[in-house]
Amino acid sequence: MRKTLDFIVEKIIFICGIASIIFVVLIFSFLFKEGLSFFKDFGVLNFIGGRFWYPSSDPASFGILPLIVGSVFVTIGACAIAVPIGIMTALFISEIVPKGIRDILKSLVELMAAIPSVVVGFVGMITLVSLVKNIFNLPTGLTAFSGSIMLAFMAVPTIVTISEDAIRSVPWQYKQGALALGATKWQTIRRIVLKAAMPGIIAAVMLGIGRVIGETMAVMMITGNAAHIPHSIFEPVRTMTAAIAAEMGETVRGGMHYKSLFAIGLVLFLITFLINFIADLFLGKSKNT
Amino acid sequence: MVDKIKIENLSCYYNKKCVLDSLDLNVVENEILGVIGPANSGKTTFLRTINRMNDFDVTYSRKGNVYLDGDDIFDIDAENLRRRVGTLFAMPIPLPMSIYDNITYAPKRLGLVAKKSDLDGMVERVLKYASLWDEVKDRLDASAMKMSGGQQQRLCIARVLAINPEVILFDEPCSGLDPISTAKVEELMIELKEKYTIVLVTNNVKQASRVSDRTAFFLMGKLIEVDKTGKLFVSPKEKETEDYITGRFG
Repeated sequence: MRKTLDFIVEKIIFICGIASIIFVVLIFSFLFKEGLSFFKDFGVLNFIGGRFWYPSSDPASFGILPLIVGSVFVTIGACAIAVPIGIMTALFISEIVPKGIRDILKSLVELMAAIPSVVVGFVGMITLVSLVKNIFNLPTGLTAFSGSIMLAFMAVPTIVTISEDAIRSVPWQYKQGALALGATKWQTIRRIVLKAAMPGIIAAVMLGIGRVIGETMAVMMITGNAAHIPHSIFEPVRTMTAAIAAEMGETVRGGMHYKSLFAIGLVLFLITFLINFIADLFLGKSKNT
Repeated sequence: MVDKIKIENLSCYYNKKCVLDSLDLNVVENEILGVIGPANSGKTTFLRTINRMNDFDVTYSRKGNVYLDGDDIFDIDAENLRRRVGTLFAMPIPLPMSIYDNITYAPKRLGLVAKKSDLDGMVERVLKYASLWDEVKDRLDASAMKMSGGQQQRLCIARVLAINPEVILFDEPCSGLDPISTAKVEELMIELKEKYTIVLVTNNVKQASRVSDRTAFFLMGKLIEVDKTGKLFVSPKEKETEDYITGRFG
């Protein structure tokens, strides 16, 4: 009796464990199938290198370069803002703030992560967009820059929580060892704490970037959604995610436009995969030294 | 006989609970002062007050004075003080970097050595001093985390020597080591007292009797007795001391 129970539980756990792998494989193969048939009709180079995204004109043009550039602009902008702020906040919470305030701060930051992205988007649309417009004297505040700020706001909690955990799990003995050798607090933080916590911090940053690239709602509401190649960060852009979300409803199932959106999904998937892969390389490296 | 460290009427508290009670003690230059006593006797608090590592504990407070060469240690910069008073902890904790970097870390931060060639020479010198050079000279770039426990402890000694302190505090330096490594560390301490002043806190009464010149016996936060090691172990003045060193309690 106990043996059968054991057997059943083991199998259930096995099925649960393998389910996630199966789902990933299924999603990937589905994207791949739809995307590939699109590539056969339109050509990979035309797709990725094409400068014009006119999916519904005649003849239609499915060049996603504007969307890729849009995503890249917004992502880089968001990282440039979120990574330094996130890591410093994590350091501040784990190393500088007294214990009582630390817990309050940390739960506030975690609360920040729980705000739905639509809400972030619409608060940003009302407050940030006009602010950006006035400060930089632009024709419109719906720009890649506004999107970057908003996404940074959404990535910061992820970066803070995970790197704070990493920083706090640095053994006190390391710090003690460095301090006992006459290092100052800042020297200890920079050379010992940050170094020992680096794998965790890199993982945090990568997860933050993942969140930024994949984010759709807020970005769609704030970046202006213009599918043209921007010349600066102060112009409206459309990201890949926003294109999929905005256009999926208007397409004919099985048509070229429909398939092209799957192809965008495939490109997105590959980009995230690449980022994860690079992160793993870094993590592996720092584990060996 | 010059007093290197002079402690006057020092009392220490955690959360207002007294763990070290009106301590008067001096450490003579170039001696090894052994500090023995059962758990909770205040030995470690005593050490952590001298190098001010207790500054990081918010529940800690103290009264009284400690002088290093006549300077009030609570008036000196904590970093500066810790450069003059090196510490070796019970658990050898190499920093998460290579053997070479472990030793050069502090001198570089403190600006003691500038040139690369000087650094190389310094690393070799302190590693030889800590009798570790022959074992690691071919793998200075290897991670210090991969060394054995005894090697790590000797690396930590080398690391302390690299900042060229005046006093070295040993906090139960052999508690995790095998007898052979222990013997090496003890030998090393005796060599080191030529140049440095040493305070050795230990749970191992025999170790104190082997190594130290004078021994202090702490009990429940009070200094019971301090005397020449030979005298304290042969004819202690206090009954508690006798009971402790003969193993009747604690």
